[in-house]
Amino acid sequence: MIKLTQIKKSYGRHQVLKGIDLTVEKGEVVAILGPSGSGKTTLLRCMNYLERPSEGEITIDGFTVNCKRPSKSDIHSLRKQSAMVFQQYNLFRHKTALENVMEGLVVVQKVPKEQARKRSIELLEKVGLGSKLDAYPSQLSGGQQQRVGIARALALNPKVILFDEPTSSLDPELVGEVLSVIRKIAREGITMIIVTHEMSFAQEVAGHVIFIDDGMIVERGTPNELFNSPKEERTKQFLKRYTPDGVYSI
Amino acid sequence: MNIDLPFIWESLVELLTAIPTTLAITAVSMLCGLAIGTVVALIRMYKVPVLHSVAASYVTFIRGTPMLTHLLLIYFGLPLIVDALSAQFGWPFRSVNIPMITFAYISFSITAGAYLSEVVRSGLQAVDKGQIEAAYSIGMTTRQAISRIVFPQAFAILLPSLSNSTISMLHGSTLVFTVSVVDINAKSQIIASSNWKFFEAYIAAAAIYWGLTILIERLTAIVEKRINIYNRGGVT
Ligand SMILES: Nc1ncnc2c1ncn2[C@@H]1O[C@H](COP(=O)(O)OP(=O)(O)O)[C@@H](O)[C@H]1O
Ligand SMILES: [Mg+2]
Repeated sequence: MIKLTQIKKSYGRHQVLKGIDLTVEKGEVVAILGPSGSGKTTLLRCMNYLERPSEGEITIDGFTVNCKRPSKSDIHSLRKQSAMVFQQYNLFRHKTALENVMEGLVVVQKVPKEQARKRSIELLEKVGLGSKLDAYPSQLSGGQQQRVGIARALALNPKVILFDEPTSSLDPELVGEVLSVIRKIAREGITMIIVTHEMSFAQEVAGHVIFIDDGMIVERGTPNELFNSPKEERTKQFLKRYTPDGVYSI
Repeated sequence: MNIDLPFIWESLVELLTAIPTTLAITAVSMLCGLAIGTVVALIRMYKVPVLHSVAASYVTFIRGTPMLTHLLLIYFGLPLIVDALSAQFGWPFRSVNIPMITFAYISFSITAGAYLSEVVRSGLQAVDKGQIEAAYSIGMTTRQAISRIVFPQAFAILLPSLSNSTISMLHGSTLVFTVSVVDINAKSQIIASSNWKFFEAYIAAAAIYWGLTILIERLTAIVEKRINIYNRGGVT
């Protein structure tokens, strides 16, 4: 379904990704963990070409882009395979919640307006915002904005949704509402890659967990393997730092 | 002091007929200037090869020379070019057939284009980068992302500067008297010198310019209120 081969990315002389190989099956939820600055965001952004990888190959659902010299239309087609939920929400500020969700359907997928509207309302209801259709992002709390962001991503029916620390800009009391929406869609069999620091959440929803450090995949496994019997020293160190006494319960 | 108050009123009424000329010059120059400025801003932001340095030279040259000089260069230069082309290709068209106001339109559009390119550029740069990334992430092309997401937000940001530029252009358009176009200012000169009542005529002209300026400010406030709905509220 998704296959990354030797993805490398450098900023000047600083190599941020040092050859990432990753395979994700259809319907799988993969959690990516790793210390700050290890390249998690860069990796996600490379998958939809918000960042241009220096080298490597990206395949999503049979569509392959070689990062050596991709054409504009390759990049565009690759982007249409995925959707992204951003750490800072990035809702279109001049559009209402409903318009945010409809935008991709109408403009990119050319769905007739009425139909797009109906589907968008359904999705906003699904994320619990049926009463906020006409609110602008500035009128919504962070948790509400992020749920609109998730509805916007879902609307496109993408092959995979990429989440970049979807809850780390939120006040603690708003984290739960967003996680429960993600949990709900995880159960529907949508392929997802989630960068997160919410360890118990990762343990609960992910089929596979990947630990990245310094631009490399250090260790991968089932949540049980990775959290309860990590093999690599770096993984152990990291987990010790991030899960003191299980305060990360949801 | 000896001021002919009724004559101020008379001049005012007479000057009304010149308002359309002034407004036409201002509007045409601002609209064409905005189009030029937007293209130039995009060329410079996306560093389009070759055009990028042409655009940069255009902006520095125009901003480095007076608006009156642009008008005179166009007024004397354009006919030479037009006539040379006509001779070359055997067109019947001659530069004497160009209406005078056209020189004002062309030259002021070029002037406004350079200034507005900087205004547009700062507006585009002020739009959060996350906005265009979100547009890309839902599969928009660059063109769609710019026209549907970036421009509307940039416009809201640059509206105040745009309003200021419009007012500057309204006032700057008085330079057209040098190429014999009769706008409000030129008309007030005519009224003044044919009646030997300079102060009165110029007071009337000042009143009209002031009124138009206030009108532009009011319109801006109305537009600003409408397009800035999304910036209000704020639970975040
Ligand atoms: N645009 C950029 N220019 C230069 N360096 C960058 C840029 N973006 C990220 N980096 C660097 O790349 C490294 C990985 O960043 P990032 O992918 O954001 O890490 P993470 O999401 O794991 O915290 C960091 O060292 C960061 O400083
Ligand atoms: Mg990050």
